[in-house]
Amino acid sequence: MENNIITISGKTGGLRLDSRILEERIQEAIAGGYRHLTIQAYGQHGIGGRLWRAGNDPVHVKVEGHSGQRLGSLGFPNTVIEIDGPASDDVGWLNAGAQIVVHGHAGNGACNAMAQGKVFVGGNIGSRGMTMTKQNPRFAPPELWVLGSVGDYFGEFMAGGIAVVCGVHPQDPDNILGYRPLVGMVGGKVFFRGPHHGFSQADARISPIEPADWDWLISNLELFLGRIGRIELLSELANADAWQRITARTPKEKTLRQQRSLASFRADVWDKELGKGGLIGDLVSFDRSPIPLIPTGGLRRYVPMWENRKYKSPCEAECPTGIPVHDRWRLVREGRVDEAVNLALSYTPFPATVCGYLCPNPCMQACTRQTHGMASVDIARLGKASISAGLPQLPEISGKSIGIIGAGPAGLSVAWQLRLKGHDVTVFDTSASLGGKIASVIPESRIPEAVVTAELERIRKAIAHVHLQQRLERADFERLQADYDYMVIAVGAQKPRTLPVPGKDMTITAMDFLIQSKAGNLSPGKQVVIIGAGNVGCDVATEAKRLGADAITLIDVQEPASFGKERQDAEAAGAVFRWPCFTREITSEGVVLTTGETIPADRVVISIGDAPDLGFLSEEIMTDKGFIQVNAHYQTAVPTVFAIGDAVKPGLLTDAIGSGRKAAFAILKLIEGEPIEMDLRPAIETRRVSLEYFDPRIVEFKDVDTCGSQCSSCGACRDCGICTAVCPQAAIRRMEIIPAGYEYKVDENRCIGCGFCAGACPCGVWNLVENQPME
Amino acid sequence: MPSNIPITPSTLSVKDLPWQIDWNKDKCTLCGQCTAVCPVQAIELGVFRKRALDMSPGFTKPPESTMQIYYGIRQKTDPAYICVGCAMCNLVCPNGAITPCSSDEADKLVFHRDRGGLPRSRGGRRNVAGTVLDQIKFIRISMLTDPALDAGRHEFEIRTLLGRVLPPEENLKFIRQNGWIPPVREIYPLMIGGMSFGALSPNMWEGIQMGVAYLNEEMGMPVRISTGEGGCPPRLLRSRFLKYVILQIASGYFGWDEIIHALPEMKEDPCAIEIKYGQGAKPGDGGLLMWYKVNRLIAAIRGVPIGVSLPSPPTHQTQYSIEESVAKMIQSMAMAWGFRVPVYPKISGTSTALAVLNNLTRNPFAGGLGIDGEDGGTGAAYNISMNHMGYPIASNIRDAYLGLVTAGMQNEIPLIAGGGIGKSGNLAANAAALIMLGASGIQIGKYIMQAAAGCLGSESDRCNICNIGQCPKGITSQDPRLYRRLDPEQVAQRVVDVFLSFDTELKKIIAPLGRSTSLPVGMSDALGINDYHISERLSINYVV
Repeated sequence: MENNIITISGKTGGLRLDSRILEERIQEAIAGGYRHLTIQAYGQHGIGGRLWRAGNDPVHVKVEGHSGQRLGSLGFPNTVIEIDGPASDDVGWLNAGAQIVVHGHAGNGACNAMAQGKVFVGGNIGSRGMTMTKQNPRFAPPELWVLGSVGDYFGEFMAGGIAVVCGVHPQDPDNILGYRPLVGMVGGKVFFRGPHHGFSQADARISPIEPADWDWLISNLELFLGRIGRIELLSELANADAWQRITARTPKEKTLRQQRSLASFRADVWDKELGKGGLIGDLVSFDRSPIPLIPTGGLRRYVPMWENRKYKSPCEAECPTGIPVHDRWRLVREGRVDEAVNLALSYTPFPATVCGYLCPNPCMQACTRQTHGMASVDIARLGKASISAGLPQLPEISGKSIGIIGAGPAGLSVAWQLRLKGHDVTVFDTSASLGGKIASVIPESRIPEAVVTAELERIRKAIAHVHLQQRLERADFERLQADYDYMVIAVGAQKPRTLPVPGKDMTITAMDFLIQSKAGNLSPGKQVVIIGAGNVGCDVATEAKRLGADAITLIDVQEPASFGKERQDAEAAGAVFRWPCFTREITSEGVVLTTGETIPADRVVISIGDAPDLGFLSEEIMTDKGFIQVNAHYQTAVPTVFAIGDAVKPGLLTDAIGSGRKAAFAILKLIEGEPIEMDLRPAIETRRVSLEYFDPRIVEFKDVDTCGSQCSSCGACRDCGICTAVCPQAAIRRMEIIPAGYEYKVDENRCIGCGFCAGACPCGVWNLVENQPME
Repeated sequence: MPSNIPITPSTLSVKDLPWQIDWNKDKCTLCGQCTAVCPVQAIELGVFRKRALDMSPGFTKPPESTMQIYYGIRQKTDPAYICVGCAMCNLVCPNGAITPCSSDEADKLVFHRDRGGLPRSRGGRRNVAGTVLDQIKFIRISMLTDPALDAGRHEFEIRTLLGRVLPPEENLKFIRQNGWIPPVREIYPLMIGGMSFGALSPNMWEGIQMGVAYLNEEMGMPVRISTGEGGCPPRLLRSRFLKYVILQIASGYFGWDEIIHALPEMKEDPCAIEIKYGQGAKPGDGGLLMWYKVNRLIAAIRGVPIGVSLPSPPTHQTQYSIEESVAKMIQSMAMAWGFRVPVYPKISGTSTALAVLNNLTRNPFAGGLGIDGEDGGTGAAYNISMNHMGYPIASNIRDAYLGLVTAGMQNEIPLIAGGGIGKSGNLAANAAALIMLGASGIQIGKYIMQAAAGCLGSESDRCNICNIGQCPKGITSQDPRLYRRLDPEQVAQRVVDVFLSFDTELKKIIAPLGRSTSLPVGMSDALGINDYHISERLSINYVV
């Protein structure tokens, strides 16, 4: 076939041909039917590629001299290229099927982007060999065979094909794979023989050579060695033990972290260097391990507390007498109306008179329901019913003797309390009957006389020793002090205070006015001026109207302190309130003010308060501005002498009754030799109470049962079970307490501290509090 | 008449609050998880009364009014229990029945956060979204004009120098004359800035430190972390991990006696000493660790009694001028470790930064200058300091760098930039921009809290209650009931993730510049911005 052999020189006339011209000549030769080409190369680019014009005919290209870059690039499967010496960069670049034999070394970039074909190198290759190679599924994989070693960055982004590195006379005997090989490798395989300095572990891994691999390798090794003319090496290279295989990691493998786990680092490095417990294991001993967001038990940030009766209800707290009003409604709810009625008698001897009629009912003013504009539970209704309360069973008199001076509400209160505890009480009073102001001063418009009479009768039954119309002098008092274990002064404030102005003799005191008007022997005239516009002044105004006055004026130096029913009645009587007014003198015309104005008056009433008449007191008992000085237990400077009621501080009837009860409590404790511990519980915050359970449309209470049902039982468990129902963790249980009673308990191993119990409790008994601090 | 809702000037409705709880009655299962998890008790179970009116058409029956009771989640309006928008309720709700919604108008609470005459203080950040750094683009994509680098394929050696880098002739002179040259560390340019043991919970602090140790020992990344001003646990001081740590000293000197006592037992020198003069989040103001955070552990590490509030004053008491204070402090600290450890001051961003820098140039012991910009975070600061004081880091670092250029000393005194880097999530971009503006190193704090521990804070005043010790993620609390929500191991893992991904992103930015071994410090020709005035101010390219 001499016809198809041609030699093409890369030089013409001593001048190197341009790569373009040499390519033209080679393509012309192929087109002309030449199939064995010898190219005398002078560094021309891309020799031997793209010989498709030969069709399926095999084409042999022998390159003599220096090939340029990209020998055999874009090569076709019909082409075999052979170069005697070394090849420049990028041999077999983007090879699509050519077989290229390089008998010397090859430069950088050998086989870059090769897709098919084979490249046999009889020496070493430079850097970036076998990079970005791939395998098209339509064709056999590309192959690169290197007898020696490969340069740096070998196999970057290798996506297919097979590289075989034999390691014979490598450039670096210690490392035949160069620096950082196989970064980004995703496919293909590399067989190699000899030492290396590692490869991209993230992308590739050493994997065992399978028998099929070995069969392929050994048979193709023979072919390779044959093509480069080094078949003598076959036996040396045929030792399977010397070969290793690298394959790409699968995408799945790559997503797996190739690093040491933090758990292992913590255990084997961190804690090992620092010691058990890590960074602060020497400073703390408690558990710092992870916990869930919603823990139970000791890890809860907040814990519920069943604070039953930890606080007073507002009604109880505001009642000067200290009656637990809500407890009376509880008894009503429990169907024990009689007990509810009787309960009051252990706090006051006047449950009907005061609670039912005369008291402005601070309990109702304080009722939590008012905070939402709802009607207060009507205690007056229960108070009025108390008229039927019978005298409690009285214990035998066995205790100490107590003398009480004054049979008004304060004196009778202390006497009542002490008698109920079995002590021997004796009451002295200057007037002819029991009851003090209640009996003598309060107008009948405000309370039916029968009620007062009935209650005084009940008291009278309890108190054996009553000495009326007894005016005491100092010597009498000193004698009584010696006769009785304890003395209680409850003389009230009976001495009206007067104004130090000219014409004061023309006035009448409010006290006298009320006593005389009640007795029916007073005619006030048409024009009445009342100096002092408090509640007593209001009572005067109301009585004056009843007795025929039609121009009633109340004056005061400041905004009048009167309130409630008394004020309303006075206003209804047409009384005019004026302030600030300062009296200069009182004349027959009326009251002359410091402004010069005269308010005409037929009658001028002085109602600026009363002071106690304390002429009988020994000097050891300290007073201040006319009132007796006492401590929190109503004890005077003489420890066995107590003082209560208006003699200490002017106040409401309930204040007087309350002071009697507290003094009695103190005396009882002294008798028992126990410390006087007062009930200092504060009132519950009303916001803790849920009024949403009640119907705001109830504006008046038809009966005591309705009252009972509408009482929110502030601060005291009503045993409704809402907490158990509402607890999302089923952590709250009602426990019976033997012999009688119950409590609601939290299972702390179930509770998450959500506070639902506190949110839902109608009584405000449940509270969510911060858990104990943890270090 | 007393009322449950007294009307006072500060009585607010839910609508007046910055966050409104949107609760869905239909979805709610009343499980109690939301109220149990709420860090500030902003929600509670409410009892509600519902009235129904029953009217029959044609008046066939008399009209009727009936009442029903139902239960649901109620939001409190008392400023002591205001919803902070953390959305922990939403996180724990099994039915997706509850979520806080940001108010659709300016809240009214802002006018009432001065009860008792005390202005608002809080934790968190400036509450202004975005920074100039976010707008800076990297415009030099020199694939062919510089050697083309592939961020994924090429090997990068991303390192920076911390310490005084003297010119070679100066170094020789120093060696000859003193037998000493200033110590210099080769470290990773992204550092974790000072967050004290105390400001952070023990689990958070340990997690970050563990992550840093892992990066050093397993990943070969020389990441460094500042202790902040709260001392350093004795074990860490005596471990080899100390070399990854920059010990901070500040005006409170907390824990420094423990550090001194540990000197004889140290296996390694610390990376550096940071002298804190200022903090970007609260420039000119000091710190205060509230007494309830000072438990036995904190007290032991800080060397203080238990249960006392710990103020860090705004200034160091014994320092009166730049010259005097910087020289004195740097000398003392350098001396403690035999002049083997770089010492540098850190200041808050300020218009006077150049004066400080100018002074440092004349002090061969000065190992760098940290500047903390206005967007820095803090565990506690007055609102006024956080929102309205400070200097933006971009122009501050740029001025400082150009000042060094003018003096011919660029890169001799490393500038470390901090304050809001990555606040919008663009950590690598912000860091690279600052590096190219002239920073040698970057410090991050909030970013770590958010990325490594899931901090819920945001620029819209979400959560921001680090100061009250109730951090719902357990990051800034000293209460084990809260900080045990945080697993140090997982924090460490996230720190590792953050640094590895940052590393990749930074490479993506600097590879096209052809930089693989030296950080492009001050390479401002690579920066562009589409705002003319900013481009002029920063001396970078104006690109549209």
